[in-house]
This record gives sequence, C-alpha cells and structure tokens, in this order.
Amino acid sequence: MYYTSIFTDYFKTYLKTRMTYRADFLIEVVTDLLFQLTNLFFILVVFLHTNSLGGWSIYEMLFIYGYFMIPYGVFTCFLNLWSFNERYIVKGEMDRILTRPAHNLVQLVLENMDPASLFGSLTGFIIMGYAWFHLDVSFAWYDPFVLQLMVMGSVLIYGGVYILITSLSFFSDSPTGITPMIWNIQNYGRYPVDIYNKVIKFTLTWLLPFAFVGVYPASFFLDKDISQGFALLTPVVGIVFFSIGIIVWNIGVNRYKGAGS
Amino acid sequence: MSAIHVNHLRKVFKVQKNREGLKGAFQDLFKRQYNQVAAVDDISFQIPRGEICGYIGENGAGKSTTIKMLTGILVPSSGQIEVNGMIPYKDREKFVRGIGVVFGQRSQLWWDIGVIESFQLLKKVYRVPENDFKMRLDEIVERLQLSEILNRPVRKLSLGQRMRCELAASLLHNPSILFLDEPTIGLDIVVKTEIREFLKEMNQKYETTILLTTHDLQDIEALCSRVIMLDQGHIIYDGGLQNLKDKWGKGKEVHFQFQKTYPLSTLHDLTKGLNVKWFKENELAAKVWIPQNEVNVSDVLSRIVGFTDISDIKIFETNTDEIVREIYKSGSAEKAKEVVASNV
Repeated sequence: MYYTSIFTDYFKTYLKTRMTYRADFLIEVVTDLLFQLTNLFFILVVFLHTNSLGGWSIYEMLFIYGYFMIPYGVFTCFLNLWSFNERYIVKGEMDRILTRPAHNLVQLVLENMDPASLFGSLTGFIIMGYAWFHLDVSFAWYDPFVLQLMVMGSVLIYGGVYILITSLSFFSDSPTGITPMIWNIQNYGRYPVDIYNKVIKFTLTWLLPFAFVGVYPASFFLDKDISQGFALLTPVVGIVFFSIGIIVWNIGVNRYKGAGS
Repeated sequence: MSAIHVNHLRKVFKVQKNREGLKGAFQDLFKRQYNQVAAVDDISFQIPRGEICGYIGENGAGKSTTIKMLTGILVPSSGQIEVNGMIPYKDREKFVRGIGVVFGQRSQLWWDIGVIESFQLLKKVYRVPENDFKMRLDEIVERLQLSEILNRPVRKLSLGQRMRCELAASLLHNPSILFLDEPTIGLDIVVKTEIREFLKEMNQKYETTILLTTHDLQDIEALCSRVIMLDQGHIIYDGGLQNLKDKWGKGKEVHFQFQKTYPLSTLHDLTKGLNVKWFKENELAAKVWIPQNEVNVSDVLSRIVGFTDISDIKIFETNTDEIVREIYKSGSAEKAKEVVASNV
C-alpha cells in the first residue's frame, strides 16, 4: 500500500519531468525501437539465405524475439540501473537514498523509472502476435495466463542478474568491464539455445540464465518439445535469481563507503 | 535520556597504496598493497536531547564519516552507536523517519520539479499525515520566506534559496534529531544569519537536537552551547565554547587612538612592571597586547588614561578562529595551551 502510493507519486513526477523535456522523450522512444528493429533486421537477413536455423523457422525465431522484447521492456522500465555506479556511488547520491524511509532498491527503481521502454514491450507483443498468426500452433485458453507468468519469471531473472552485477559496485571500486560483457551474453538468449555449442548452452541455462528470457518460455507456446520442460522452470529460476540478487545487494549496501565529504 | 550515544566508535577504510611510476602501476596490477586508514578512531560522546552541538575539525578529520555513521549511511568498523534509541544502520527505514539530514554539498530535492512538489513527494515517502504536513509546511514557509519560490523548479534557485528549501525539506516530518553537514557552506551572510536564527528557533520550540559540522565558527558561536573538535579521527576537545575561549584564549588587545604622538618608549615606561607588549600602528595610534590571567585590562587602562590624551579606545578579544587555528596547528587542545603559554 505504502509503496503503491509512493509509486504513483514518483510516476507523476516522472511525467512532469518528461513533459518539460518533450523532444527528448520522443527521441528516446524512437531510438529504443530502432535499436530493437536493427536486431530484428539481422534475423530477417539470415533467413534470406536459409529456410531454417537449427530446426527453427523464421516465424518461430520472430516469435521468440517478440517474446524477448516484452520482459526486456518491463525490465528496462523498472530495473534499469546502468548509471548506478557513476551516479550513486561515485557522486555519492546513495547517501541521500539511505537517509530516506523506503527500501533503498525500491527508491532506486522509482528514481530511474523509464516507462518509455514499455513501448518496446508493446512492439514485442505485436511481433509475437504477427508470428503466431503465421505459425500453425494451437492456442489454449490458459496461454495468456501462462504468458503473464513467464514474463514475470523472465523479468525476475533479468532483474536478479542485473541487481547482482550492479551490487558489485559496492565491493569493487570500478567494476566497469563486467556489465558490457553480461550485456553481450544476454543477447544470445533471444535465439534458440540449441544452435550454440554445449558450453554456451549450459551458461545460458544455469549460470546466466538468459535463455529463460527468450527461447525457453517462448517455446512453451510453440509446442516445441525440446525445451518445454525448461519453459515451466522459468518462474522458479526467476525467483531463485532475483533472491540471490537481493541478498547480495543487501550485503553490498552495508559495505557502502560513501564518497568525498 | 541522551539523543545520541557513541561509544568507542571506529571506522577504518581500506585504501589501496599506489606505487610510483609505470613500474609501480604494473606491480599494483598483480599485487595490491592496502593501507588501513582510520577515518574515525575510537571516539565516544553523548549528546542529550535538545542540545545544539557543533562538530568541527579540519578537512579530513572524520566529521563527515561520523555523521554518516550516525545517520545509518555507513556501518561502523567497531564500537557502538545509539541514536534515538536505535542502532542507525540496522532497520534503516524505521530509523531515518526520526531524523532529518541536510548535506550542504548535496541536494535532497528533485532537480526538475517545483519545490512544493518535492515537498509533497517527501510527505508521501515519510508518511506524514496531511494535517501535520500542512501545519508544518505553513510554519516553515512563513518562517523561511519560501512562499515566492515554492513553485519554481529547484534547478532555477540560487544557492541561498536552495539551502533554505533543503532545510525545510529535512524538517517536514518533524524529526527529533537534525544532522547538518556544512549547512552554511557558500552562503552569504544574510542567508547564514537567517538559517542560524531559524535553527535556533526550531531547537527552542520543538526541542530538536541538532548536530552540525561546519568550518564557519560563527555558526558555532551563534548556535552551539557545546563543541566537539576532531583531529585525525580523535576527539581533541569536547565542551563548552566559552570554556574553550577562557582556557585557551590568549589575551586581549587594546587599541589606542591618541591626540598627540607618543613614542613607544613613553608607553613602555607607563606600563612598567606589567607583562604587556606595545606595537606602534601609526603616528597617533598604538596597540597593546595583554596576556590573559596575568595582567588586568583595567590596570593597563588606568596607567595610560590619566597620562595621555586619548581620542578612542577599542578592546579586542582573541577570536575563536584564532584559538581554533592554533589548536588545529598543534593537533590537540592540551598542546595548544602549552604553545600559548610559551608564546607569552
């Protein structure tokens, strides 16, 4: 209740700020979408040369990609902490966060909220629908509910992994290298994992489970039996990784050193 | 019951030792050496409710580190802290509802939105009931004359206006303890005075305990009944400001403006037997240095006044700045006394 109420207020603040910088808002939405669409374009180019990739058709690939965009958009909206190290650790703004009576991570989420990226989710949903339309797969009454559950699980995985990485800022002075690396790895998750070699597949499934943000949950709806079992694990993996993220974060906060005077 | 209770508090930072040159940097890459630096080293003090306490010391003495531990931002390396009956870094969210914090160098307010909207947001975050909030806001707005700037975005405020808003923001939830880290830094004298008066009033009216760090000793003189002085993580003085002056004040200086020219030797002769020092200012002016506790100002005056034509007399006390500078230089209040004594 308390958090819902402050969420509303922070959201209003966000809108007010955004309205002051109108052009900036539009540019952000457009560049976000363009970025996603170039990736999509890459898939289309590949399929100009072949009809199937490791047993996956173009529409299946599109479906997975569309699915991926949904949790990704939600994640970027709420758990986007890219500038955490620079803004909160180096500049010491974490001081302010820690002297306010709401959980520090929640405050960070609220301060860095970026609802513009939800347009990405919407686009993803449309791509998914388009692909579904072209695919010959069954549609069950429970599919929309399962979709919600899967998306939630995927968002939790994303969130957990990134909270974990972000909290490294508390332990090391400048963990600059690791974020771009993880960022690259997460890109693999949006393509079917069985086209990669075993090491990458294992990594994407158990170590940095980005496969659960794309191919595994999506394959549930595609009736692909190779990874359907994994699909149902999505929420579980989500909860596990999110919990790990939060635990490490809380340990990290107690090691916060502050900056300057 | 004391508002702040600190016992053998220590905070040690691990600082990487950078070796010199390119070779050193290369060595650092493989084998790092660390230094343990104690920013706050075994300090203990208690502050009773309703007291305004000044916390002073040179840059890097450990003031901010202490404040950060008291407000729950940093976790101490060892020792006990109790503020408001709670341990600050445990259960932070509950603890911070009872304290107010102003960091002079950092803003609590939202940059892009109007001041009043920042206040509204803080009201929600601190769960202040609507009625309390209104009452408190009206009072503070009137007292700090904020009504004209309430609707302006924070980024368009001057530093003085912003500081007043910061102060208002920190008091909206009626905290029982207020921590101020350099609240008057960079402000002009008018705003400084306003802020001091406001703090004093809040302290008297609501018994708000205030702990402030500052480099401006006038803040201390105007506000604090007590001073804690810190040097390299140790407390070197804890007590009243008057006491500090009495004990370590060097003496007084009396400036004379004469109507005729008197050579220094004449003045020396007049005060023969008294341990004072004369300095010539110009043709018609001279000043005399009278050490504390040795010579009475009235003795000196009585010897001079009857025998010279005087147009004006001014008496100067050693100001706090000088005392404190002396103590900083020597590193401890005890030593400062010796230095002063040997000077005389």
